[in-house]
Amino acid sequence: MDCPTCEAMVDAYVDGELSATESAAFEAALETCPQCRRRLAEARAMSGLLRELAPEPAPDLLRARVERELRAIARRPAERMRWMAMAASLIVAVSVGCIGGTFTGRGGVGGEGEMVATYMRVASSDHPVDVASTDRHTVKPWFAGRIDYSPPVHDLTSDGYPLEGGRVDVVAGRKVSVLVYRHNQHRVALSLWPATASGNTAAKVTERDGFSLAEWRHDGFEMRAASDIAPNEMAAFATALDRATGEDR
Amino acid sequence: MNAMSEAPKPDAAAAARFRAVMLPHLDAAYGFARWLTRDPVQAQDVAQEAMLRALRYFHAFRGEEARPWLLRIVRNTWTDLRTRKGANDQPLDVVEDRPAEGPDPEQSALAGDRRRHVAAALAALPAEAREILVLREIEDLSYKHIASVLDLPVGTVMSRLARAREKLAAELRGRLGRRDHGLPDV
Repeated sequence: MDCPTCEAMVDAYVDGELSATESAAFEAALETCPQCRRRLAEARAMSGLLRELAPEPAPDLLRARVERELRAIARRPAERMRWMAMAASLIVAVSVGCIGGTFTGRGGVGGEGEMVATYMRVASSDHPVDVASTDRHTVKPWFAGRIDYSPPVHDLTSDGYPLEGGRVDVVAGRKVSVLVYRHNQHRVALSLWPATASGNTAAKVTERDGFSLAEWRHDGFEMRAASDIAPNEMAAFATALDRATGEDR
Repeated sequence: MNAMSEAPKPDAAAAARFRAVMLPHLDAAYGFARWLTRDPVQAQDVAQEAMLRALRYFHAFRGEEARPWLLRIVRNTWTDLRTRKGANDQPLDVVEDRPAEGPDPEQSALAGDRRRHVAAALAALPAEAREILVLREIEDLSYKHIASVLDLPVGTVMSRLARAREKLAAELRGRLGRRDHGLPDV
């Protein structure tokens, strides 16, 4: 092998692109060619320097955005279904409102359709909350005089659900408190009102039209939560909320 | 909904498959974008847009090697965004120094110093040289895969790579003292 051939093979050799036969021929040629040995050492050194560069991992924000997109797709029924579901839930909310059902905290009132409707009012509004604060001592007093009970308010930042604020929504003709929490880019709308039945129940998490819904009773309050987070995140939210309420007393 | 769009919308099954096949290469996508743009914010924009495109065109993925497939989209996205914005190569930013590690602090500091110089030399190269070196040495792609990312014949990959290496060697010689970089004198 003459030197120009050998020279041309240095890169391919370092890059592992030569066949076994070619490699063997090249190595044999190297023996007699100090010039090419030096080229080889150089090529290896350069490659080594570049490979020393620590790769920079993708930032968390980027990863979170891609994740969110994937989750949205995984949860999305066909586009048309979603609109129909939304329209349906609004119709349910309106008709329940017309009947003017009593506030039993059971059965149809505070049902799935209303939960989704409440959530949609939060999610689609430019002003998702009427009182924006992560401070429960600001949010809780805000409800005084607006509704006829005082809801427990907790910030769940340490659990990954920071409190964003509160608003009043009308469910079945009655004003109820709605607390809005954030989870990454998502919002959770939690409606709560005094329970008529006693005893705590475990949160029942269901999925409906791409929304996660939770329904439970804790510490004398009926809880209804709706969000576009995943069902397991909704369950974690309910657990965190119950724990925060428990620590209160 | 849109009668014009011929691409099927990704569904839950596609999202799950994408998560398994493409998501593991998100770091590579960002890393490549980082070297192309030489700017962390732009790199994030390019990588994000590329991931969304990859998802949109995922139905066209036929089970070939995932990383070159994704990196090709990253490169196309970068080219598109650059032409759209009419942006030229941005001025270089200082490549972040990583904390030194290893038992011998003096050695580590030296290594860190050297890495910084190498990164700066690579960043200073024209895009054509930079991208091919990154694909070969950092992404560790074969000639065949580099050819598919850059849409070039393999022969062109080889000659372009050789030229890029010469350019980098010249840059390095300008930046590093010969003794501590391990490059023999020419």
